[in-house]
Amino acid sequence: MRATRGLTVAVIGATTALTLSACLASPDQSGETAGPDDPIVVGVSLPLTGDFAEPGKGVQRGYEAWAAHVNENGGLLGRQVELVIVDDQSNADRVASDYERLINQDGVDLVFGPFSTRLVVPAAQVAQDYGFLFVEPAGAAAEVFEQGFTNLFYAAPAIADDHYAHLAEYILALPTGERPETIAVASMDDPFAQGTAYGLRDALAAEGIEVVVDEVYPPNTTDFSGIAAEIADSEADLLIVGSQYQDGVNLVVALQQQGYQPEMAAISGAPTNAEFPAAIGEKTEGILAPTGYTPTAPYPSNQEFVEAYEAEHGTPPAEDEANAWTTGQVVAAAVEAVGCADPSPECQTQLIDWLHSNEVETVVGALSWDAEGRPQSAHLIQQYVDGEIKIVLPEDVAEAELIHPKPEW
Amino acid sequence: MTGDLFAQSLVLGILLGGLYALLAAGLTLYFGVMRVVMIAHSAFLILAAYLAWYFHETSGLDPLLSLVITVPLFFVVGYGMQRFLVSRLRPISLTTMSVLLTFAVALTIEGLLGFVWSGTQRRVQLDYSSASIELGGVSIAVVKLIAFALAAISLGALYLILRKTSFGRALRATTQHPEAARLVGIDTDRVAGLGFGLGLATAAIGGTALALDYTIYPSLHWHWIGPLMAIIVVGGLGSIPGAAIAALLLGVAASLLQVPLGTTWAQTVFYLALFVTLMIRPQGFFGGRLAQRF
Repeated sequence: MRATRGLTVAVIGATTALTLSACLASPDQSGETAGPDDPIVVGVSLPLTGDFAEPGKGVQRGYEAWAAHVNENGGLLGRQVELVIVDDQSNADRVASDYERLINQDGVDLVFGPFSTRLVVPAAQVAQDYGFLFVEPAGAAAEVFEQGFTNLFYAAPAIADDHYAHLAEYILALPTGERPETIAVASMDDPFAQGTAYGLRDALAAEGIEVVVDEVYPPNTTDFSGIAAEIADSEADLLIVGSQYQDGVNLVVALQQQGYQPEMAAISGAPTNAEFPAAIGEKTEGILAPTGYTPTAPYPSNQEFVEAYEAEHGTPPAEDEANAWTTGQVVAAAVEAVGCADPSPECQTQLIDWLHSNEVETVVGALSWDAEGRPQSAHLIQQYVDGEIKIVLPEDVAEAELIHPKPEW
Repeated sequence: MTGDLFAQSLVLGILLGGLYALLAAGLTLYFGVMRVVMIAHSAFLILAAYLAWYFHETSGLDPLLSLVITVPLFFVVGYGMQRFLVSRLRPISLTTMSVLLTFAVALTIEGLLGFVWSGTQRRVQLDYSSASIELGGVSIAVVKLIAFALAAISLGALYLILRKTSFGRALRATTQHPEAARLVGIDTDRVAGLGFGLGLATAAIGGTALALDYTIYPSLHWHWIGPLMAIIVVGGLGSIPGAAIAALLLGVAASLLQVPLGTTWAQTVFYLALFVTLMIRPQGFFGGRLAQRF
């Protein structure tokens, strides 16, 4: 907290000086006024406390690791990168005023997005109002891309609805006898969790697979035995869960307690969390999950990222860290290509235009976007195989063969 | 709803109701004895859950063993809290001021939990976490059964203490008429302190039961205080059997309504019951006159 405040003060000081010098210098070309030695200041608001504090801190680690890596390697356009990170307390009103302040008062050169759909939308609106490029690491729900943003880019392989695209394809290609006939769905009342789960549900339901249970629960639910009883009673072949962490864990344990054994269990959210196996114990075998990132993915810049991150933190990066790093990569690619990084409308427009018409190599593969900022790929599908989570789909990057049917849990 | 699902939901409702009864017993005791609305009760519950988790994490022993430490500890803390904090409130505004005081205590506990163990969700991982007993098509989770047994034993013990011991008689006398109790030589301050300690000791047991089956995080107590308050109002403030009956009925109702209504609406059954109680029978359905019986 104190460090952040100190940093903010320092940045405000720096930007005031910058603004002064900008006023004094002849404004021949905006943006050129900042000298080559001045840092590029990137403003971010993150949920460091409150409901999204866990993933928020993951994103913070990712951004900081990226900035440190860039600075060690000569910076961006030869300038050092400096992050100004403020805490929005997971509050949607606050996130908007945070970006307002970062852009307006602190005079940052660039902004990066916050965590979670609920915070991304109000933040993107502010960025749009000021004409800023807005690359974000965490707003995957369909509604993010239905707000008419032209400045927004999601720095991950796919939006929520497409996360399971590879799995849907796999299931529909199974021979009739092996194909699940019934589906039980349970999802947190959250646009991202639902988007992911319903993407798979709808893709399969459209091909005639019957949805026998379809439950939605509020985010603060702790007792999952009722939902588990319904799912167990339905004996559905395929279980689809749209969860974050604690609800996913509680639901899986409740299902195990009631002896429910699906042939296939696709759970988004919880399983890719490093604590998941510790919470569930040795009963994770065969659980499927979509992931936008894995440290073992064979993309060129990924190894560099994993090494840099591990050197600093001692553990491999998780998805939140990777999405943050990817955000940095995407913005950096645009900045390097266009040759500017300042708040002027000319520069920001050039950055936005460049991303609309180019592909960027990142730690989650090559990314390109449609006009609304939807990335044009699909997520990797992971599965717990021999106690470890491994990529099983798509086949060209798979580390293990998909287990079907799922062993008993 | 199939017969199996009905039976399963009924059993789950009873098990959940048992846990609710245990958690609500302490709350109704504070109110019955000293008119204290103890918002921090569920925060102590989560604190006990964290202690159980931490105990398991560091020692590798069963979290139930942590009760040996937490029950006496919470008793002492409860006694101290009554003697040094609650008893300083003026009798005339005791009920309202106790809300503010215990609200502050709840926030303090939540803050400390977050400070010490971070906001990360924790779960006690046991060999029997997902084990269950099959009984006529109904699965009964071992951890839920343990929680229910803990609730039954604690409530039984609480009832015996209040009914059969001289301390219990003194406590009830203090509840019914503090001045008369003082006149017959009861040290009402001390009795109130012990009563508070007793209530908090039930929070230690309830929290440990909670830790067996739920993922815990510092702000979880806000989730519990609402339904618990509803239970003690429906049951009749101050009545422990009333709270137990209300807890079981509402637990079963929430569990059975979950199937046709879904989780979001099933949870509102507590508030609906609270609303109806306040409208047609504000003294509660099972407690008789306010806080006169145990």
